[in-house]
Amino acid sequence: MVGLSIGEKHFIQGGIAQDLRTDGRKRLTYRPIYVETGVIPQANGSARVKLGTTDVIASVKAEIGKPSPLQPDKGKVSIYVDCSPTAAPIFEGRGGEELSAELSVALQICLLGGKSGAGAGINLSSLVVAEGKVCWDLYIDCLVISSDGNLLDALGAAIKAALSNTGIPRVHVAASASGDEQPEVDISDEEYLQFDTSDVPVIVTLTKVGRHSIVDATSEEESQMRSAVSVSVNKRGHICGLSKRGGAGLDPSVILDMISEAKYVSEQLTNKLDSEIAAAEADDDDER
Amino acid sequence: MGLPNASGDLSSEVDVDAFRRLFPLRFHERHLAESIRPDARPLGRARDTTIALGAVASADGSALAKIGSTTMLAAIKMEVMTPSMEAPDEGCIAIDFHMPPICSPIVRPGRPAEAAPVVSKQLADTVLSSGMINLKELSLVSGKAAWMAYLDIYCLDADGALFDAALLAAVAAFSHLQIPVVSLNDDGKIVVVAEEHGGGKLVKDPVNKEKRKLALSSIPFSLTCILHKNYILADPTAEEETVMETLVTVVLNSSSQLVSLYKPGGPVLAYTSAVQGCVALTRQRVKELQEILGEGISVNSGCEGGSLVTSIREQLIAFVLKSKYDIAVICCMLCSEVYELL
Amino acid sequence: MSHLSIPKKLITKNPLPKITISLSLSLSPILPSPTDATTTHERLSLSFPYLNTKKNQLMDAKSASTYSPNPTRKTKPPIFADPDWSRPDSRGFHHCRPAFFRTGAVNSASGSAYAEFGNTKVIVSVFGPRESKKAMMFSDIGRLNCNVSYTTFATPVRGQGSDHKEHSSMLHKALEGAIILESFPKTTVDVFALVLESGGSDLPVVITCASLALADAGIMMYDLVTSVSVSCLGKNLLIDPILEEESYQDGSLTIACMRSRYEVTQLTITGEWSTPNINEAMQLCLDACSKLGNIMRSCLKETASASQE
Repeated sequence: MVGLSIGEKHFIQGGIAQDLRTDGRKRLTYRPIYVETGVIPQANGSARVKLGTTDVIASVKAEIGKPSPLQPDKGKVSIYVDCSPTAAPIFEGRGGEELSAELSVALQICLLGGKSGAGAGINLSSLVVAEGKVCWDLYIDCLVISSDGNLLDALGAAIKAALSNTGIPRVHVAASASGDEQPEVDISDEEYLQFDTSDVPVIVTLTKVGRHSIVDATSEEESQMRSAVSVSVNKRGHICGLSKRGGAGLDPSVILDMISEAKYVSEQLTNKLDSEIAAAEADDDDER
Repeated sequence: MGLPNASGDLSSEVDVDAFRRLFPLRFHERHLAESIRPDARPLGRARDTTIALGAVASADGSALAKIGSTTMLAAIKMEVMTPSMEAPDEGCIAIDFHMPPICSPIVRPGRPAEAAPVVSKQLADTVLSSGMINLKELSLVSGKAAWMAYLDIYCLDADGALFDAALLAAVAAFSHLQIPVVSLNDDGKIVVVAEEHGGGKLVKDPVNKEKRKLALSSIPFSLTCILHKNYILADPTAEEETVMETLVTVVLNSSSQLVSLYKPGGPVLAYTSAVQGCVALTRQRVKELQEILGEGISVNSGCEGGSLVTSIREQLIAFVLKSKYDIAVICCMLCSEVYELL
Repeated sequence: MSHLSIPKKLITKNPLPKITISLSLSLSPILPSPTDATTTHERLSLSFPYLNTKKNQLMDAKSASTYSPNPTRKTKPPIFADPDWSRPDSRGFHHCRPAFFRTGAVNSASGSAYAEFGNTKVIVSVFGPRESKKAMMFSDIGRLNCNVSYTTFATPVRGQGSDHKEHSSMLHKALEGAIILESFPKTTVDVFALVLESGGSDLPVVITCASLALADAGIMMYDLVTSVSVSCLGKNLLIDPILEEESYQDGSLTIACMRSRYEVTQLTITGEWSTPNINEAMQLCLDACSKLGNIMRSCLKETASASQE
C-alpha cells in the first residue's frame, strides 16, 4: 500500500526502537483527537472524529423493530462500516469491501459483547419498549473519509461519541393489544431519552513493530507491522473484546503484556475522549 | 496441423503422464482401441458405488452417495407450507443442487459453477416427473398445511457423472426420510410432537401418525455415457468428460421404463443403435444400483438405535479413501502395460 | 419554450433507471433517506448478490413462505450456580469432544481434510499453489485465499447456504502467520471450507481442519495451526462449546496457535473478561491445542505410512 524506501523503513523502525516516532510522538501517545457531534441532522445521533489525518463519521439511526424470539428482552444493534473511495484509491469499486467487512466484524466483537448480551458496551435491555414485541433497532453506520492508519480506534471513538449524541424518542405503547398481536406504538416527537454511554468501551490497537508495540499507528507505521492486537476496554478496566489483526504469531505472554499496556493506555484515552465529547456536545448545543 | 503426427512419434519416447497431459485425446483413444480405460475399467463398466444413509444428523433424511470419487451429500429438511388453491391436498418438493468451491478446482467462491443450475433443473424434472413420490402423501391438513420438502444436494468431490451421483443421493435421501410426527396447535400452526412427553400429556392428536415414511414407487436410476466415434463409455470421469464431449444420460425407473433421456448437443451425432446401446447399459446399471440402495437401507436399519454416529462416520470416511489407493496402483500397472504395447 | 422541452424519443432512450442506480450507490448509508428501512435491507441483500436469484423456484408464489415445525426453543438459561448442573452432552467443563480427522477426503483437490467434533462436521479443500487471478498485482510472496461456506442444512433452521464472510476473514488471519508464503511466489493457495453440519465451535474446527488440509497438500508451514474456543457461562469456563451452549454464552475466547513454536496466530475475545479469567482461559485453550496437535500429527503419520505401503 505504502511505498517506502529501505532508508525510510529503517528510519521508522529505528525511531520506534528509541521511543521517538517520526512525528515526534512517544510509543504510547495518541495523535490529537478532534471530535464534532451532530454532524448529520437527520440521524438520531452522529459524530465525526479525526485522529491526525484519519477522519471518520459515525451515525446512529433508531428504528422500531421486533426483538428476536431467543432474546425477547433485548434490542438489536448492527454495525456497518463503509470505506469511501475518497479515503484511498484502493477503496474504489469493490476494493474497500474486504476492509469494510473486517472492520465491521472487529467493531462487533469489541462493542457488542457475548451472545447472551452480557458485557455489551451498549445496554441492549434499555432498547426494549415492550418485551418480546417492540424494541429499538439501532443501525450504526460508519464512513471512513480519510484513512491514515488506526481506523478501528477512530471508529470506536466515533461510535462512542455518536451514541452520546443520540436521542431516542420516547415511545408510548397502546395497552389494548393482547395475545400475539403487535401493539400499536406512538412515537413522541418531543421527548427524547439520552443514551447512557459510560459503559461503552474504547478500542486501543497496539501495533507491533520490531520488538516494541505502539499505539495509534499511522499508515506508514502500519506497513511495518508484524502483527496487531485490538483491545476494547471499559471504564472498569475490564476487557470487553479483543481481536488480533492477523500477521505473524505472538507468544501468549507477549499478548498478555500487550493487554495490560492497552489497559494503561485506555484510561488516558477514555478521559481524553470524554472531555472532547463533552466539549463537542457543548458546542453543538450553543449552535442550536 | 502437424500435431497428431508429432504426437505419434513422441508416444514411444515421452513419459506417460506427460503424454496424457499433452495429447489427452490420443491418450484416451489408444486406450479405447484396446477396449480399456485409463482407470482400468472396461468401456461399459461403472465405477464402484456406495451409499451411506443418515450422514447428516440435523436433517430429516440424508444420504451420502459415492460413484468412484464423485461424492454427493443429499439432505432433506421438512418445513410446513400452505398448499396452493389448485392443489389443496398436495405437498411440494424443492430440489437444489450445489457445487461449493471445495468440490473442484474450477469452481471459485462467488461464481456458481455453470453445471450446477443445469443439473439442478434436470434433477427436479426427473424426480418430479418419475412419479416416485406421490405429492398427496405430503399433505397434512387439506387446504391448510402440507409438507414442503427441501432437498439440497451438495457435491463434495466432482469427478464426472455428476447427475448420476446426485440422483442416486437424492433417491437414497428420500428412502431414509423420517417424517416427524406433528400436530396442529391452537394458533393453526403445525408443531412437532415432542417424543419425551409420551402419550399422556398430548392434548392434540398427531395429524400424521400413519405417514412417517414415504412410499417410493418406481425409483429412477440413471447412467451417463460418453459417445466417442463408435465407442460407448459408461460412467465417465471428469477427465474423460473434458476430452470427449458428447454425453448421453438415460434415466430408467425400477421397471425399466424410460423416464428421461438427455443428449445436450456435442460433436458426435448418435445413431439409434448408439442410443439403444446406452439404454441397454443403463438397464444393467439399474439392477446394480437397486442392490446397492437395498444394501444401504438394510445396513442403516441394522445400526439404528445403536452407535449410529460411529457407524455412519466409519462408512462416510472408510470409503472416502477405500478405493483411492488400490485403483491407483492397478491403474499405474495397467498404464505401463498399455504403453509397452503401444 | 419549445427548445426547452425534451423530445420524447430522448426520454425513452435515456437509461433513466441506470441513473437512479448510480445515485443510490454513491449515497453513503450514513445519509438517512425517508426510506431508511428499505436501504438497510437492500444493503443486506447487496452483499450476497446471487442469493436471491439462485433459489430454485419450484413452488408457487403464494406458498413461498414456509416454516419449520420445530418450535423456537425458549429455554431459560440454566442456573450455572447449581453445582449439579452438567453440560447437555454430559461432558466435564474442561473436556473436549472426541475429535476425528481424516485427510484426502476430496480427490480433485491438491489436499483436503475432513474433521468431525461431535456434530460439527467440516470438509476443507486446498487448491494450488496455482496462478493468481489476472487482476492481481505482482507479488513476490504467495497469496492465501480463504472461503468458508455453510450448507443449507448445516443449522437447525434451514439457512441460505451462503458464504460466511466473517469466518472467511478469521480463517485467513489464523493461517497467514503459519504458512511460509515465500515458498510459492506469484501464486495463490486457495483454502475452501464447507461446514456440512454446524454443532458449535465451527470456526475453531474449520481452522484446525484447514491446517491439516494444507499439510496434506504439501504447503510449507512453520507448524500446524490448532484452534480451540472456550465459552464463559456465569462463572464457569466451558471448553469446546456446542451450539446450545454458544447460544447463551456470556463471552467467548477463541485461540488459534502453533503449539511447537508457542505462538498465537489468532485470538478473539467477546464479552466482558477480567485479566485473571483471560489467563485461565488461554491456558486451558493452549493445553487443549497441544493435545489436538498430537491427534493431527498421528493422523498425518497414518496417511503417510498407508501411502508408502
